Amino acid sequence: MTKQLYFDIAATTPMDIAVAEIVHKANIENYGNPSSMHMSGQKSHNIVERSRTSIAQILNCKTSEIIFTSGGSESNNIVLKGVLNKGDHLITSSYEHPSVLNLAKHLEQNGVEVTFIKPLKNGSISAKQVKSEIKSNTKLISIMYVNNELGTINPISEIGDIASENEILFHSDTVQFIGKEKLDLSKINIDFATICAHKFYGPKGVGGLYCKNGIILNPLIDGGGQENGLRAGTENISSILGMAKALEISNDSLLENKKKILELENYFIGLLENSNIQYRLNGVNRLKGIMNLTFFGVEGHGLLMNLDMQGIAISYGSACSSGSANAPQALIEMGMEENEARCSVRISIGKMIEKDDIKKLFETICNIISRIKK
Amino acid sequence: MKEKVLVAMSGGVDSSVTLLRIIEMGYEAIGITMKLWEYKNFGGNNLQENNCCAVSSINKAKLVCERMGVPHYTIDFTGSFKENVVDNFVDEYLSGRTPNPCVRCNSFIKWDTFIEQAEILGAKYIATGHYAQIDEKNGDYFIKQGADERKDQSYVLWGIPKETLSKTILPLGALTKEEVRDIAREHKLETAEEPESMEICFIADNNYKRFINEYAPDKVSKIKNGKTLDEEGKKLGNNDGYINYTVGQRRGIGLTNPNPLYVKEINPKNNSIIVGEKNSLLKDICKVKELNWLIETPDFPYETHCQIRYNGRKAEGTISIEENEYVVNFKDPQLAITPGQSIVFYNNKTLCGGGIIKLYE
Repeated sequence: MTKQLYFDIAATTPMDIAVAEIVHKANIENYGNPSSMHMSGQKSHNIVERSRTSIAQILNCKTSEIIFTSGGSESNNIVLKGVLNKGDHLITSSYEHPSVLNLAKHLEQNGVEVTFIKPLKNGSISAKQVKSEIKSNTKLISIMYVNNELGTINPISEIGDIASENEILFHSDTVQFIGKEKLDLSKINIDFATICAHKFYGPKGVGGLYCKNGIILNPLIDGGGQENGLRAGTENISSILGMAKALEISNDSLLENKKKILELENYFIGLLENSNIQYRLNGVNRLKGIMNLTFFGVEGHGLLMNLDMQGIAISYGSACSSGSANAPQALIEMGMEENEARCSVRISIGKMIEKDDIKKLFETICNIISRIKK
Repeated sequence: MKEKVLVAMSGGVDSSVTLLRIIEMGYEAIGITMKLWEYKNFGGNNLQENNCCAVSSINKAKLVCERMGVPHYTIDFTGSFKENVVDNFVDEYLSGRTPNPCVRCNSFIKWDTFIEQAEILGAKYIATGHYAQIDEKNGDYFIKQGADERKDQSYVLWGIPKETLSKTILPLGALTKEEVRDIAREHKLETAEEPESMEICFIADNNYKRFINEYAPDKVSKIKNGKTLDEEGKKLGNNDGYINYTVGQRRGIGLTNPNPLYVKEINPKNNSIIVGEKNSLLKDICKVKELNWLIETPDFPYETHCQIRYNGRKAEGTISIEENEYVVNFKDPQLAITPGQSIVFYNNKTLCGGGIIKLYE
């Protein structure tokens, strides 16, 4: 088997070795229940609290404003279900992650009024669009920071200001942004932000929610009162520690990684530009490293399978539990024709990728396209 | 370099052994599962064990592929399946006919799609787990019945495009079902004890009446209680609408008669069914539409053996052309020749072709 080249970091990242090591160590050594009185429990308790402090410092918020959860989907659920009641109005976008989008549709069936804003042709939601949808019963605005399929960045700061001026709560699913860019929560008018460890080289199954002090939510899971009563259940100590470590590493090497990924992306685009491949890079204001590309006349699904059989992982469309996929929904939402959307794939570059890997990716794509293009 | 073969994987025991055989034959295999249906949308249970297209079946296909070191992909064809197979299935019942969705799926979706995917993946052949065989003579390819007579599935293959035969491998054709299970057990395949799949893959509980009611409630609600007539047109009673009956059906007619009564004809236009005693259902003629030949198109009249239902017996018949339509005259009268079902033609064990039965009026 050839070396696996992984260009799907927007789906998930490989765990940093340093993170894996401390998670492994904590799993063996720190088995005490953080709620127990004895020293073993206290040790675990302190690991959780130190992790909370570390994450809060990096995101520039108060320690008590970080709640640990099982990941991004749960954090999104806590906010939407915790805030919205029958008769309330939610403003969100039509290209959110399914944990917001499908939940919003579900809430809509239960009497919550929902406005789904479609992204503009450039792949973003504008603050103006959000503003024009505000009604007297608007209770929550939930707009993702970076779209997972396109990598486009939404004007979260402006949207936060609008929410604040209108005394509306503001949530952002920030999972694609955190760890890749600096998120300073003190500089944004924001009430909730979703954190997910496996998007920044941390463990899977652990995440967090920034919940501004003073806001009281109904918990999804009742029980022993952990996480300030908002999320019961014995803490996932090793993963929480791993998440804090992963964020710390990402934060320390932020500039270095950004520089590297920008260079790699430019190199790849340069190779495409100088080839005879007909392509288009979708979306305008993008986070570097997440590229949604249309290769005209080449079905994305076929390109993915062919690349995979040669050891290269990319992404196509909206995945579902059976492992099949439909045309990328975000592209349809921003007005792309279905036949073009079907010819679009996502290539996302992580910090472990090297220039040679990009060259291999490009060459393999060229070979496949010359064989299968209609 | 090994030739690549795309193996159609449903997650059952047959397709798993197909994969095994293809690898043993020296090919490089790629497993593909076509996702054709979303059960939860129409009263089915996605988690039910023996539904192909259910997540558990797709998972099993993946496990078997991984065990054999073969890549596996799932491709979503729910849109095309709905349009070409399920919509037609419901429309046929609403028109008083009894469709055969497996035939339609093979004819219009499966083969074309798998061949297309094979080309995309650089594979020369496709392989499926049907119990039928492909033979070659002087560069000409044709389908023969499977060696296991009880399992033979050639009946559902009459509609596949002839030009795909040279690209198709059916590795189970020479085996019996028991042999296939034994091979699966011997290799400890995850699917070795999978139950037989359902009659109609997209109707999880096999209750087509419930399905049509949920799928096309607007159309079904227009079908009121209908009349049950005898062969002379005399009303014998009422029924709950023609859609609930199939030609040849005996149970559930709700009439008492010294001899059992069977549904002889279904007439959606005036929402009636005509019933009669068994002998009245015997006919020696029908029309055939949508003919497809898997041998060179013969000269007519053409004497052949005809099979008018899955697992039915073959009967001698002659195909001829009358006023631009194909007509089959059977040597002996046949019971309950059912419009909408497939009539399949054989010459000994060779599948010559087939078509869809129409009433001869």
